[in-house]
Amino acid sequence: MTKKMILLVMILLVASPMLFAQSADVAAQTKAYAAIGGGIAMAIASGLCGLGQGRAVAGATEAMARNPGAIGAIRIMLILGLVLIESLALYTLVIVLIK
Amino acid sequence: METELWLTRIFNDNLAGLGNSLLSLVGMPGQPRPWANFITMQILVVAFLVIVFAILRGRLSYDRPGKLQHIFELIYEFVHGQTEDQMGHSGGKYMTYFATIFIFILFCNLIGLIPGFEAPTMNPSVPAGCAILTFLYYNGVGIRANGALKYAAHFAGPVWWLAPLMIPIEIVSHLARPLSLTIRLYANMFAGEKLTMVFLSLTYLFVPAAFMGLHFFVALLQAYIFMLLTMIYVGGATAHDH
Repeated sequence: MTKKMILLVMILLVASPMLFAQSADVAAQTKAYAAIGGGIAMAIASGLCGLGQGRAVAGATEAMARNPGAIGAIRIMLILGLVLIESLALYTLVIVLIK
Repeated sequence: METELWLTRIFNDNLAGLGNSLLSLVGMPGQPRPWANFITMQILVVAFLVIVFAILRGRLSYDRPGKLQHIFELIYEFVHGQTEDQMGHSGGKYMTYFATIFIFILFCNLIGLIPGFEAPTMNPSVPAGCAILTFLYYNGVGIRANGALKYAAHFAGPVWWLAPLMIPIEIVSHLARPLSLTIRLYANMFAGEKLTMVFLSLTYLFVPAAFMGLHFFVALLQAYIFMLLTMIYVGGATAHDH
């Protein structure tokens, strides 16, 4: 299953110069590649950020369930951790937006 | 691409001379419409805050506090509680800067939600200014609290023979702090606005309103996080004293 997906992505990448060959200038090709690259980069960044934040919330809720006295401190750490992980995905967004 | 707000248009029509003379003070050439959106929005936020605090000052009372005083006591208790969590009891003298940066960034973010106005933090210059100011502040405070030599010595890490490894790592991570503060605040505000606009152009009523609500929550959270990270940095810079 993953092998077929990798094969598909490779074929798409190899065939894309021919697909985009209708616009003959280099600028349009570069912009097309930049858009595709931006989409893939953003997808990877958001996916991994989602996984990381899921782990953070899972750890935090389990710790709060085990130790209800420390809920305040754990909440602060949770918010801080979530925002720091979120900012990693946002760095990718800034790079994508610049190009 | 940048359309002018009504306030910026008023500034540009009447005060263009003042804007150009301010620009020439720093050596930049004059332009036909010198006032930018984010500058006028910042001026508006600062004027609003000064007026609110002036009114508050006139109404402070020990026996019968009014509503405004209650609101600001809440804000003060919140900032004070966070300072004590992060830095212990000696953090009181830094609270002015933390509260200022918190309230300023909070109002700058929130003003973007009102239709005729734009958040000045949407422009990368404004978060960059706050981040550079925070960087200078926590280094300055660290040098003043510990002395310049001891402050530079704590870059070397816990053990002296790790110093050639630790010093480049520490320097790079210290330089990365204002960069990450800037990009975090700028990207959150910019992306929030763009998301709301995109969904407003796709559908109507409930979906853009939901994203606007998310943007409101993110605005509050980002102001709090900026303040919290500033406290952590200042706490780390003044750590050896206590």
